[in-house]
Amino acid sequence: MGRYSKCGIWCGDEMAADLSVELAPGKKEGLLLRNPVMVASGCFGWGTEYSSLIDIQQLGAILSKGTTLRPRKGNEMPRLVETPAGMLNAIGLQNIGVRKVIAEKAPVWATWRVPVLVNVAGEDVDEYCRCAQMLDGVQGVAGIELNVSCPNVRAGGAVFACDPYAAAEVTAAVRRCTTLPLMVKLSPNVGDIVAIALAVEEAGADCISLINTLVGMKIDIIKRRPYLGNVTGGLSGPAVRPVAVRMVYQVAQAVSIPVVGLGGIASTDDALEFIMAGASAIQVGTALFVDPSLPLRIVEELASFLERGGFSSIGELVGAANSHFKGGSSL
Amino acid sequence: MKLEIGEIVENRQITSDLWDVMLRAPQIAREAKPGQFLHVRVSNGVDPLLRRPMSFYRIGSDTVDLLVRDAGRGSKAIIGKGVGDTLDLMGPLGNGFSIHPTSRHLLMIGGGSGVGPLVALSEVAVSQGLSVVMLLGFRSADRVYPSELLSPEVEYYVATDDGSAGHHGFVTDLVSDYLGWADSLYGCGPRAMFLSLLKVARGVNLQKSVQLSMEENMACGVGACFGCVVENRRGEMKSVCQDGPVFEMRDLVWG
Repeated sequence: MGRYSKCGIWCGDEMAADLSVELAPGKKEGLLLRNPVMVASGCFGWGTEYSSLIDIQQLGAILSKGTTLRPRKGNEMPRLVETPAGMLNAIGLQNIGVRKVIAEKAPVWATWRVPVLVNVAGEDVDEYCRCAQMLDGVQGVAGIELNVSCPNVRAGGAVFACDPYAAAEVTAAVRRCTTLPLMVKLSPNVGDIVAIALAVEEAGADCISLINTLVGMKIDIIKRRPYLGNVTGGLSGPAVRPVAVRMVYQVAQAVSIPVVGLGGIASTDDALEFIMAGASAIQVGTALFVDPSLPLRIVEELASFLERGGFSSIGELVGAANSHFKGGSSL
Repeated sequence: MKLEIGEIVENRQITSDLWDVMLRAPQIAREAKPGQFLHVRVSNGVDPLLRRPMSFYRIGSDTVDLLVRDAGRGSKAIIGKGVGDTLDLMGPLGNGFSIHPTSRHLLMIGGGSGVGPLVALSEVAVSQGLSVVMLLGFRSADRVYPSELLSPEVEYYVATDDGSAGHHGFVTDLVSDYLGWADSLYGCGPRAMFLSLLKVARGVNLQKSVQLSMEENMACGVGACFGCVVENRRGEMKSVCQDGPVFEMRDLVWG
């Protein structure tokens, strides 16, 4: 996309600030995004749901709904409730199963310019591996986001996210099952996020995304019982953002693979916070429900932010705040 | 489905807890059908965060009306707006009601804010020369939907919980008198009303079509998040926002 410079001369692509980002620099094929703005898993369905509202091809990448080996019906209703500047959800990984994803969704994705990564969840290492194996080499699947952090089902893999050895085990196993770029999504519901991040990096992750939702709860005071059918749910939205920024900041200093930041991003300023905390790319999640056009606006506004500041690429801002690092991996 | 900024052209209280909010939204009005809904952003900031699903109450050539019940933070924010203020709208969403070509007599059963989509449907039905009986339930007389706001052709009966107007009891108590007359039934209201309607229908082994508009908390509104689902008889989880909000009663699992 070209633009006019200040003196009114038409500048081609090579003159505009470079928004592209490589998320699997360790792999030969890599995972190159045109821009660092993705849409988070669970918030954008299979991508098709929003295609009549926004030009999805302009997104950096799409993360699919959490996918499991077998179809899942998900949790009891109610599955969501609004909370201060956020929401709790306990969907429970309702999905059509990996076979249908491959048969029905991937052929559509294969016609798109925007890369689609499949978010994979499972109950045990074997399930993760079989899912990853089946996705390997499927046209339209650009990579895997390993969901070891869904808080709402036993099968969501949260058990893997809480322990560095378990996280490393599932990451290493999936790494052996697929040649696809592998992003591992971490849970914030842990004591030492840096230890987990280092473990999955060591086990072969190409990049790390964080954070998944924070486990929370709401009580229905009229009925005097937990509001959600699943009792607890995952908190998301602007309310969680400071926690997410802190965790991205800590992890980005510790690992040498790219970090993808998410958690309550609702504006370009929010996205910049994550980038300056060390995220090479970001994901918009809950805010999509409020404003589906937000991710594309962030892409545009990031470009003008770079231009105004005289930066030639988004990479120059990644970790810009890191010189203030005080060390230490936990609070 | 469109993203459109709607300008409020009228905001009028019509009962102790219902407001008629008329919005100029030409693109949405052109596509809107009774039973479909808008996803309305209620704050420019991040709190309250989520959009609110609101069914069409009236559909004009370039305006739509919402019947908003004063029930929570989101609805308070909407009814607090003045003429000239704007609302960020997404819609029309969902499937809407359908009228079978052979249906002549339509029985509509509703309560609370469930009145809105039934009024929209009654207008379409009356304009097609069909007969409509409307049975509506409310807590008390001050909340009863005014009969003068319905088409004069609509036959209208009221039930109240406290007996201060119309029948003292549930609106579904009135249904059996019209089951023989009706070709098809339409419902919108709380789940308890649907369960009571289900009992009546099962009692007489009703074979007629009963279309129900379901209410649930929603996040995305477009079938992407699976936050609002109902299970059908084939064991499939259907999104209320995308596959509904209108479902055939007999297709759903009621538990």
